[in-house]
Amino acid sequence: MKLLPKNKLVPIISSWAQRYTVLAPSSTEQGECVFDIFKEETFTLEYRKPSLPPKSQLLPQSDVIFRVEKGTFREVLPERNVLMFGIRSCDLMGLRQSSSFMSRDTQDIYYRRRSDHCLKVVMACAGPQNETCFCTTSRSGPSATTGFDLQFYDLGDSFLVESGSTEGDELLKAGNLADVDDKDTVEQVNALRNKAVAAITEVPDVTRAMEILSSRGASEELWERFGDKCIVCGGCVYVCPTCTCFTVADFPSGPDTGERIRSWDTCLYGGFTKEASGHNPRSTQGLRLKRRHEHKLLYYNQTDVQEALCGCVGCGRCSDYCPVHIGTLEVVKAIVEEQS
Amino acid sequence: MERIASICPFCGCGCQFSLVTENNRVIGVEPSPNNPVNKGMLCTKGWNSYGFVHAPDRLTVPLVRKDGELVESSWDEALDLVSSRLTEIGKNHGPGSLAFLSSAKVSNEENYLFMKMARAVFKTNNVDHCARL
Amino acid sequence: MTNSIGEFEDADLFLITGTNTTAQHPLIGSRIINAKERGAQILLIDPREIQLAHFAVLHLKQNIGTDVAVLNGMMNIIIEEELYDKEFVEKRTEGFDALKALVSRYTPKIVQLISGINATDLERAARMYAQAPKAMILYAMGITQHTTGTDNVKSCANLAMLTGHLGKPSSGVNPLRGQNNVQGACDMGGLPVVYTGYQRVNDPAVKKKFEEAWGVSDLDDKPGLTITTMMEAAQRGDLKALYVMGENPLMSDPDTTHVELALSNLDFLVVQDIFLSETARLADVVLPAACFAEKEGTYTNTERKVQLSRKAISPPGLARSDWEIVVDICRRCGYDMNYKTIAAILSEINKVTPSYAGITYDRLRTSYGIQWPCPNEEHPGTVFLHKDQFTKGLGTFLPCEFKPPAEVPDSEYDFILTTGRVYYQYHTGTMTRRIEILEREAPEALLEINPDDARRLGIKNNDMVEVASRRGSVRLKAEVTPRVPRRVLFSTFHFSEAQINTLTNPAHDPVAGIPEYKGCAVNVRRCE
Repeated sequence: MKLLPKNKLVPIISSWAQRYTVLAPSSTEQGECVFDIFKEETFTLEYRKPSLPPKSQLLPQSDVIFRVEKGTFREVLPERNVLMFGIRSCDLMGLRQSSSFMSRDTQDIYYRRRSDHCLKVVMACAGPQNETCFCTTSRSGPSATTGFDLQFYDLGDSFLVESGSTEGDELLKAGNLADVDDKDTVEQVNALRNKAVAAITEVPDVTRAMEILSSRGASEELWERFGDKCIVCGGCVYVCPTCTCFTVADFPSGPDTGERIRSWDTCLYGGFTKEASGHNPRSTQGLRLKRRHEHKLLYYNQTDVQEALCGCVGCGRCSDYCPVHIGTLEVVKAIVEEQS
Repeated sequence: MERIASICPFCGCGCQFSLVTENNRVIGVEPSPNNPVNKGMLCTKGWNSYGFVHAPDRLTVPLVRKDGELVESSWDEALDLVSSRLTEIGKNHGPGSLAFLSSAKVSNEENYLFMKMARAVFKTNNVDHCARL
Repeated sequence: MTNSIGEFEDADLFLITGTNTTAQHPLIGSRIINAKERGAQILLIDPREIQLAHFAVLHLKQNIGTDVAVLNGMMNIIIEEELYDKEFVEKRTEGFDALKALVSRYTPKIVQLISGINATDLERAARMYAQAPKAMILYAMGITQHTTGTDNVKSCANLAMLTGHLGKPSSGVNPLRGQNNVQGACDMGGLPVVYTGYQRVNDPAVKKKFEEAWGVSDLDDKPGLTITTMMEAAQRGDLKALYVMGENPLMSDPDTTHVELALSNLDFLVVQDIFLSETARLADVVLPAACFAEKEGTYTNTERKVQLSRKAISPPGLARSDWEIVVDICRRCGYDMNYKTIAAILSEINKVTPSYAGITYDRLRTSYGIQWPCPNEEHPGTVFLHKDQFTKGLGTFLPCEFKPPAEVPDSEYDFILTTGRVYYQYHTGTMTRRIEILEREAPEALLEINPDDARRLGIKNNDMVEVASRRGSVRLKAEVTPRVPRRVLFSTFHFSEAQINTLTNPAHDPVAGIPEYKGCAVNVRRCE
């Protein structure tokens, strides 16, 4: 571990920005915080999880994967190495699960290419970021155990910085920082972690709902009730750190030129499963919601879950951003209530 | 990737999102978490609204009809033709022979200048748009 | 809207009519669903079984085009049972006696005959609306797109004034605007009768003000032509040239066969657009424009809120912002325009438009928008309208008699066709049909037909059918669904392969000029 005084933070990020495109929390003129290209004047540490998880960096909402120009095929490669500063441990778990999924049966080379060129600097949480955080239940936070290049712990006027990779070690060389690998530091980190764990509410409904889904299941009526009010925006999927479904389409611009683009898709749209005959095996919005939530809480392949509880990392975004309150928290609550 | 504040081009709710760009290309949207209209949410059209921006058949060059066909032209040629023909028709048949359809899809400033053009330059109140449609 | 979107959270009752809100204004629709969960009541008046019908405590399915009768009927019950807001009527309105006299003829029985709504349901609806502490009326084009559109709107306003559901938080009359800047286009004077901020062209003081501001003399002081009358004038040969910016009238206007004739009859047609639309194909000059992502500008949403949208990327090829093109044309015509930025144009708008005076570029840059009226830079903007008084002082009741639609079914055209939109497509589809995922969800025009009618005519789901009106015919696939009542067909105008506006009736409201898209007489048969 290294100790980084807070007044050295901007200089060290600036030095990283020479070599990487640094994405960091930035405040806009409207006073909103987005993860954007690092600039000293807009950089801020007063931030919450952005509405989009960092998967949007590795699996962009739309991505030209290759171009055909006058009959010649040309792959489109990401141009620069990226460093994401200040992501949260739940989101890192999302990246770890997605990365595992995207390389499980075959390598998704487009994802892999962006992923290989992306450094992850985690900011450990000192407590919940909002009312919907449940990382301690889903075992994805409040700090990360592995998978990061660097992890920052906020001590007030300085940061303790933990390296998780050789790239991380490399990043720290820039700062000429003091080593603090003594027993006190370990205890300090543990104390911070314990304090954060205590501050984040456990949601036992999640594990109870998982048990119910794996035994009796929830009633059809419950899913249809959610289905009746779903406005089919797809937002829960788009903001989910572990949703990776995409669709691929070709856009010809001439007889021998064009692009192939892949873009985010969602299992909540009817067309996602509609067959060529016109038949749709998931014929109602209720069935589509059932599948999505069972995927997260029941079916998600064990090899992809890492040490987390399930395919949900507890970031709470689906509950924050569902226009009609059909997030994971509301769904697990309804499942448990129905059974009791 | 960069993020620039924008307003959804579809319905009248006026949801705010950042356009996410990479290499002068819009690659997605990120809903504004704090704008009171949408509070981090969007509908399906909003989430996918970036999708037509780079459509391969966007108009990129002015077109002028010659011998019955629309053919590519320079801006100078196209704009000279528009201004001279409108002026000429207005002169020969009166301002009432000209009409201007403004748009519910362009900005306030553009609507303002368009109606100013109709009224101040061509002296007609024949200005409307598809509010009713 | 007289209210704001934020006020949905406190309303006790929503009277929703002629808006499929979850499909067309989804983030307003979702607030209604949430409101229902916290105990608010939803009163739906709509011929179709839209998503909100699931949440309505009462769903009145009126015969198409009978809105005035239904609203008059509700007012009659409210007056009869003395449920109206006497204090509000006395202090803030005029013309109550005339209203009372007129609506007294709309007894529940008569309204049932006209609208098909049963008398008990109407009574229940009237009482619910009148007795709710805070009630909002929401409507969209299901109210306006009728030959009686103006009467429908007046009747909504009458009902709100009668019950005092106006000029208070979470109480008001809320037309939902369909396009992202339709409010702004109206506010900016994109209308034949007004300059910006609804300043009338035939008011000599206004004329003089704009002549001074713009440095010109002899501004036209007679109201101009509306879209529909423009097309008629073009067909007669009176209109010689048309300049269209970002519109596609060939797809969006009623009776497209005649629109095409009208456009072809012009000496000169200019179309400025981002795509070669159906209309652009007929043009003499096509000017390539930048889309929303490629320029800066402000837009006014349905709650009168002006918001700033930034430029994210540069336009493709030689395309330019609409405003830059207009500036260039004006200069070529010898009129000096020197705007370099959006801020400069907005600053001029601030000067000539009292309701926009305080909505400056710098304020918009650092805020989430400002709602007009906003008379000066210190003013916070106006959340809801008509607080202590109406713009003109007292609110006048404008009672209206019921008039049937211009075209009603007969033996030859025995169905009524009503048109609208689907969730996944937008307007004439120029933008959304190029978005792969939206196109996958709604790739083609469908004709909704009730199962009873379908059975009688031997029509099954996905059969090709031909729909014909007095103006033309269209082939499209049938969707057999109880969403529509018997003898009513529904389809959309998004798809150029099945141009539904070939069928629609150009008959329009005499005041607003809005065509009767919501009802025309057609027949339907299965294609062999």
